[in-house]
Amino acid sequence: MKEFLLLIRSEEEPKAHLSPEQLQQHIEKVGSFIKRLTEEGRMKSAQPLEMEGRMLSYKDGKIVDGPYNETKEIISGYYHLLAKDLDEAIAITKKDPRFQEGIWRVEVRPIKKVEGIN
Amino acid sequence: MNKPEEKQSHQLAEHFFRTEYGRLVSVITRYLGTANVQTAEDIVQETLSKAVDHWQQHGIPPNPQAWLYTTAKNHTLNILKRKSVHRNFEASSRTLTDKSAEWEDFEPTSATLSDNQLKMMFVCCHPALSENSQIALILKILCGFSIAEIAHAFFSSHETINKRLVRGRRQLRENKVAFEIPPDLDQRITIVLKTIYLLFNEGYFPSQKNSLIRYDLCLEAIRLVQLLLAGPITENKADCHALLALMYLNASRFEARMEEGGLGMDMEKQDRKKWDQDLIQSGIRQLQWAMRAGKSSNFLILATISAHHCIAPNFEATDWPAILALYDQLIVLENSPLVHLNRSVALSKAEGNQKAIAELLQLESRTDIGKHYLFHATLGELYGDENEREKAIGCFEKAIALAGNQRDIALLKKKLMQFVPIR
Repeated sequence: MKEFLLLIRSEEEPKAHLSPEQLQQHIEKVGSFIKRLTEEGRMKSAQPLEMEGRMLSYKDGKIVDGPYNETKEIISGYYHLLAKDLDEAIAITKKDPRFQEGIWRVEVRPIKKVEGIN
Repeated sequence: MNKPEEKQSHQLAEHFFRTEYGRLVSVITRYLGTANVQTAEDIVQETLSKAVDHWQQHGIPPNPQAWLYTTAKNHTLNILKRKSVHRNFEASSRTLTDKSAEWEDFEPTSATLSDNQLKMMFVCCHPALSENSQIALILKILCGFSIAEIAHAFFSSHETINKRLVRGRRQLRENKVAFEIPPDLDQRITIVLKTIYLLFNEGYFPSQKNSLIRYDLCLEAIRLVQLLLAGPITENKADCHALLALMYLNASRFEARMEEGGLGMDMEKQDRKKWDQDLIQSGIRQLQWAMRAGKSSNFLILATISAHHCIAPNFEATDWPAILALYDQLIVLENSPLVHLNRSVALSKAEGNQKAIAELLQLESRTDIGKHYLFHATLGELYGDENEREKAIGCFEKAIALAGNQRDIALLKKKLMQFVPIR
């Protein structure tokens, strides 16, 4: 089994525009998706992220704020997933019911295997 | 294989979020004041959003309602402390500390929740607001529909609905509308009932594409009147029962009116076995309650007409003379061209198409009913029944030119096709 990090991307505050009915459906559908993968032992971790936070970088000898993205895109959550290979990870990702809402993008990235570290 | 369904012990009731949205906004508005209703809406949206984050990871808690109220409460208290809404509190004599303390003691019982929703209903139907704003506010605030969903149900745009909401909220603020059961109840209940009936009718028009959400509008309208009847209000109960009767009886035919392709089906062609007998029984019971007051009203007459349709074994056996007599009574209360138009259908069945056609032509000459597509559609049907093909075609073409939305146009075109010879 290989490890994958799935970065869930969206515009800022994606859920602000979903109706109460859609939010309830989100819990029911995405909730059971995560639950099933967790019970199968494939989902090692799945967390939403707060919309706030800081971007730090190094400039002219000191750590500074920014630079921030020009776009409003933000990483709003992540999955840490186990799969046979990239194809299987993608196949699993495609089943995430959140896509039906049309507001999410998911980036599937294999976690690099480094000898002696993981 | 794992079967997650079996382990998931807690599930949300159908429309749980939507219902709780309306309750929560009402409760919070009670503390923030009607000038801050938008803040209350934002707090609730954020609360539900938080619930999504938590519950999709950890499952639904044993008492989801309590979870929502605690989260919303903390959020509101923070806002109260932050002074961000202070300037809108002047109208109230009570201090913020009082409000906070009161809020902290709040427990969501069904009695307090109903009480707050009832008050919210009167707020949304404040006479200073336009009918359009009243309906939009009721749907957004009390029924928990999103702007997109309301626009979808009304064949309208996001911008239009949002404008109505913005204008409505501004009028609440400018008129310093109190969160209370109003003192001039008699008048105010009449407005509330009228708005609820408009809401019901919006939902009642058939359409395949969004029939589900539209049926939900009807159910919400019914729920709001049930809420009124269950409350402490004693005024105008007869009118509430009459409106509830009317909505139950009309809703009983909801499914039977749907045809493949989503167009509405005339009552004549409906399969009466599909009429919901439970709703008809509930409607008749409400009608009996309404009649006890011994006072006539528009809703009572309309409900009685609807009941006549519901209990007729078939279309031909409908008691048309009785329905015609009811329309005559209705005209005494509401002498409008639209009532005359509806009466003409009963007249055609009771006394013949020619008589109804003569009445309609006369109506057209003395009112501006000719601007309404329904007038030409009704006249077209009558001409069609009389085999006056050319006149029928002319009427339906006029109706199509006047009809406002695609749903009506599609239905009218289908009717027109019956009279156009196949080439």
